[in-house]
Amino acid sequence: MSSAYWRVAGMSYVKYANLCADVVRSVLKDQHVVTAKARENVYFKTTEWANGVPGASVITEIKSAATK
Amino acid sequence: MRRAAQGIASLVKQKNITSPVVRNAAQGFVEASSAMEGSIAPFGARHASRQLLQQRMKSVGNIAKITLAMKMVAASRLRMAQNRVEQSRGFWVPMAKLLGDCPDVDVPKNLTVAITSDRGLCGGINSTVSKVTRATLNSVEAMGQAEDKVNKLVILGEKGRAQLIRDQHSIINMVAVDWTKNAAGPSFTAASMIADEIIKVEHDVARIIFNRFKSAISFLPTVATVASAEVNDKRCEMGGIMDEYEIEEEDRTPLLVDMAEFQLAAVLHNGMLENQASELGSRMSAMDSSTKNAKEMLEKLTLTYNRSRQAAITTELIEIISGASALEG
Repeated sequence: MSSAYWRVAGMSYVKYANLCADVVRSVLKDQHVVTAKARENVYFKTTEWANGVPGASVITEIKSAATK
Repeated sequence: MRRAAQGIASLVKQKNITSPVVRNAAQGFVEASSAMEGSIAPFGARHASRQLLQQRMKSVGNIAKITLAMKMVAASRLRMAQNRVEQSRGFWVPMAKLLGDCPDVDVPKNLTVAITSDRGLCGGINSTVSKVTRATLNSVEAMGQAEDKVNKLVILGEKGRAQLIRDQHSIINMVAVDWTKNAAGPSFTAASMIADEIIKVEHDVARIIFNRFKSAISFLPTVATVASAEVNDKRCEMGGIMDEYEIEEEDRTPLLVDMAEFQLAAVLHNGMLENQASELGSRMSAMDSSTKNAKEMLEKLTLTYNRSRQAAITTELIEIISGASALEG
């Protein structure tokens, strides 16, 4: 058995697991979905460095659509 | 005699002799120039230093209030942070039981991840992590015989960046900050995305350094080791890990790659949460001792202030009395 389809598509296992988690969160019932969707929100700032010099900062922000 | 009379005259001009606090320094200086020429010191000099003392007392009092408030905030956040830490242990503990943790593995490409906080005033935890990071980088270079040893560094947290940038800037690959901006603590999603960036840095072993939260007063600097899939492959072949499981040869490598990536994300998530709980506990005790010191300082300043106030009153009384007795005599 060769690589899984998501590995072929360039995803790491961590990304695949998180996408699965997103799918599971979206099928939760109403009273649970709000607290679960809050866990999808992400904010952080990364700076790639090369040869001792920082590059441009990249802000990663994900705000899942607020439900109810 | 004239000087004493002039002293009384200036005293009479002043509104309130017994509480010199009410007068301001400017008023005192104006009266000094008008009333007492040739005196040893301007009349306001006494009051100016007492006013400085008063200003200092006010600022020290404010500091005590602010640090007390910061301690309360940190204490309330600490409870929730501790819950999050305990819930995150279920991810990395089984991985460690399965794949083991061997910090002394001798491989060419070594990645060190230092987890620190973004905000300061949290005691010594960030400098501890920086110290352990430097020690790890040095010991990796000194150990073993693998050729072409390469050290790479990833820093999480603004404080670590500020401390490690001085001597380690040439080996930094990535810096990530601000993950507590919109959320109370890093969710597994956030930790996974940061782990994804770290996975892209080529490495044979990742050593993640953070403060493990033992209790509200005890934070232990910890080095958690996550080996790459190739290293685990060799260890599987040699035996010792995953012996209990039947795995086909060709299935083993993709399985180990998946597990290594997940282990990195799980250990990173736990490390970020443990460090956050340690940061809150350390900030709590730092602000507590700061409040105590500020209150002590305030007590000492109050004593000094009262002493100088009483000395000023005594001096004025002496002037009055000596002036009065000079008039009589």
